[in-house]
Amino acid sequence: MEFLSSLISMPWLDYSISGLVIGSIYALMAVGLALIFGVANLINFAHGAVFTVGAYIGWTCLVGLGLPLGVTIVAVAAVSGGVGALIEWLAIRPLNRQSRIAPLLATIGVALMLDQIIHIVFSPTPRALPANIPDWRIAVGNGTIGAIDITIFATAVISAAALYAFLFRTKLGMAVRATAQDDDAAKQMGVNINAVNMTVFGIAGALGGIAGLLVGLYYNSIDPNASFQMMLKGMVAIVIGGMANVPGAIGGGLILGLIESWGIGLFGASYRNLFAFVLLLVMLLFRPNGIFARGKERAAEPMTGTFVTQTKAITLPRPLIWVLIGVAVILPMANMPYITQVMTNAYLYGLAALALTLVSGTVGLVSIGHAALVAIGAYASALLTTKGLPVSLGIVIGGAAAALIGTALAYPAFRLRGHYVAIGTLALGEIVALVILNWEGVTNGALGVFAIPPLEIFGLPLYGTKASYWFVLALMLGMAGLQVRLLKSHLGRTWKAIREDTVAAETYGVSSNYYKGLAFGFAGFTAGIAGAVTAHQWSFINYDSFNLLFSVLILTMAILGGLGNVSGAILGAILVAALPEMFRTLAEYRMLFYGAALVILIRFRPQGLLGSG
Amino acid sequence: MKPLLQLENVNSFYGPVQVHFDLSLTVPENAIVCLLGGNASGKSTTMKTILGLQVPKSGKVTMEGRDITGLPTPEIVRAGIATVPEARRLFGDMTVRENLLMGAYARSDKPGIDEDYEKVLDLFPRLKQRLGQKAGTMSGGEQQMVAMARALMARPKLICMDEPTMGLSPLFVDRVLELIATVRQTGVSVFMVEQNASMALSIADYGYVLQTGRIVLEGPAGDLLADPRIRSAYLGDTAA
Ligand SMILES: Nc1ncnc2c1ncn2[C@@H]1O[C@H](COP(=O)(O)OP(=O)(O)OP(=O)(O)O)[C@@H](O)[C@H]1O
Ligand SMILES: [Mg+2]
Repeated sequence: MEFLSSLISMPWLDYSISGLVIGSIYALMAVGLALIFGVANLINFAHGAVFTVGAYIGWTCLVGLGLPLGVTIVAVAAVSGGVGALIEWLAIRPLNRQSRIAPLLATIGVALMLDQIIHIVFSPTPRALPANIPDWRIAVGNGTIGAIDITIFATAVISAAALYAFLFRTKLGMAVRATAQDDDAAKQMGVNINAVNMTVFGIAGALGGIAGLLVGLYYNSIDPNASFQMMLKGMVAIVIGGMANVPGAIGGGLILGLIESWGIGLFGASYRNLFAFVLLLVMLLFRPNGIFARGKERAAEPMTGTFVTQTKAITLPRPLIWVLIGVAVILPMANMPYITQVMTNAYLYGLAALALTLVSGTVGLVSIGHAALVAIGAYASALLTTKGLPVSLGIVIGGAAAALIGTALAYPAFRLRGHYVAIGTLALGEIVALVILNWEGVTNGALGVFAIPPLEIFGLPLYGTKASYWFVLALMLGMAGLQVRLLKSHLGRTWKAIREDTVAAETYGVSSNYYKGLAFGFAGFTAGIAGAVTAHQWSFINYDSFNLLFSVLILTMAILGGLGNVSGAILGAILVAALPEMFRTLAEYRMLFYGAALVILIRFRPQGLLGSG
Repeated sequence: MKPLLQLENVNSFYGPVQVHFDLSLTVPENAIVCLLGGNASGKSTTMKTILGLQVPKSGKVTMEGRDITGLPTPEIVRAGIATVPEARRLFGDMTVRENLLMGAYARSDKPGIDEDYEKVLDLFPRLKQRLGQKAGTMSGGEQQMVAMARALMARPKLICMDEPTMGLSPLFVDRVLELIATVRQTGVSVFMVEQNASMALSIADYGYVLQTGRIVLEGPAGDLLADPRIRSAYLGDTAA
């Protein structure tokens, strides 16, 4: 009833106008992503960081230097365009001969680095962006349009028109279109593909930067933490529009803006991001080629099989493993509580990385939403134990909940391939976080869960850092041992067969969904108990404890060790989670460190330290 | 006849798999040379090697005496080699006109391009009414014409064609062969890969036979057509 009355009383026109204005900004973001996807077959996760760069260049020009808006727009386009081109040159081009997912992961690394650099230069807190745009509004029907709306919409339209003029009126623009259709053929016409790629990254950067400035103008403030959210909005828009389809991206941006705005009108602003991700999932499931697609699907892309570079995995000799385990067991005896604590944390990451390396490495479904599994386990155990359930039971239930819910959520994504798996899992991760944020009755919403009881085994509380250290170590080693067992069994071989070639595996009668489900179930359980134990360790969790950065971090660990490699996952977790804690400066510039690690790793050792398994 | 393009002792690999074994061949100026061979014999790989899309492990590719082995493809195009790729590979969402202009991408002599544009359209009058049509919506035969016209727009010295008659009706095959002969008359050499030996040899000056990466037979087209080994291996059913 309440819903119906808000449906009727909602000022539709006002919401539509703001939807179109925001949508035109999303469209600018999306166009860049679509262009890059077209020529480089890559989802540029650094696109959001370029957006933020644009916002801050805009602030510098408008507030710092007091320049007029027109000059500011040109400066923003130039600088963020330059940053875009630089990303192509430094991070993407060297990966020319690697698999498709490699550059995607590199752009995630670049995004982390750029974000951190912005935090360092401009501080991590949002700042005001007062623009001298008159604040008159004129009435249109029963709504109003302001000067700011017109400014933003006009800037977006002019930018899009300039892009069209470039694509359809210049020789280089023609080469861009040709490359997007068939880069090999374009090369045979004498097109320098590197130059085309760089141009496209530059243009995308310029448009993304302008989008950053416009969002700042619209809300009168800029937020250095908005990168990933904005990138995701652009990505949703290109999924709606059909990935490499430039006019589709514009349409997708406007549609997303409208749906979001109407949704906010009906349900409230805290759901803002949920609409985008639900829309994304619906698109992936029912119209993976976008709403403007006519028939013909884009060719399926084998992305993971080729990413898990077929190298021989380095098997650590048994005696060495026992020595390492021995060292790990006696480590707390050194009486360095800080180290003990850091390593406990690292082992928890190790558990999560074990799960991810199974799903992404062994089965080949590269997941950027892994945090969701961890979060489900953490919340299940935290909520039940704060209501009186024994902790050890909570942990097991946390694992089971992550296994069941995680598999059920991921199930629809099993039929997706390549980039779509990455996008789909990312959306799932965000949706889980948003459900946690909004389902206040159960999850306590933004406040999070407090006073989670500490770890205990069957009623026996684990006093002190040492006891929890041993408990977590035993848990991790136990799960790792189990995973090694599984990998050596028939099940492990089937998983690898599915990774190498799902279609071929199916023709041999392997039901790939069933086996993918088993993998997700096992991985979900491991990740779930990792989350549950973490919750009891920290005693406080909220919706942001297991965010996108967390997912990226786990992925970095798994890649560092070697995707699919069990001991590699543990090694990766220790290196990534523990190293920065031991060096103060590294901890301070954590994201820079993670980002650089990811970029360098993929460039020089894509198979990971211990080789992919 | 002066040699235009030469391959000398080329050894190509895909990973550990060797595809060419000491492959050597010559395309003289103003000639039609064909490379015959069954499936997977390495014909398309030869094209890729010439165009720099596939770099041989050893051996040399020279164009007019200049070593072009391993040069980036755009450089090789500028050295005067144009291509009609296997399965044509037109830019399907672009118009015929744009496809032709893409052919001239490596050039910057505007008047020369305009002149060639007119010339090419005279050679393929059928395309004149189709300039605004999306190339992807044309028939297979028409697409083959666009592909050939696109290659000519580069004003090349040599056009490499990978199975130009593939998938065409007999009527169109004749037309394409005729066009290839016409192209040669304009002073351009043609190096074509074909599975259909009799057809290719009927217009070629010289032929090579490739078998699992090795040249097993070569000679003037007329001699090859009469050669019993060719007749049995390739012309079995199609001749007569
Ligand atoms: N990109 C590639 N990677 C690995 N192997 C390849 C690749 N391209 C071709 N090959 C292999 O090299 C061999 C020669 O291939 P090529 O395409 O040159 O043959 P072809 O003579 O053109 O055959 P067709 O008549 O079928 O076109 C084949 O065995 C093929 O499987
Ligand atoms: Mg071939």
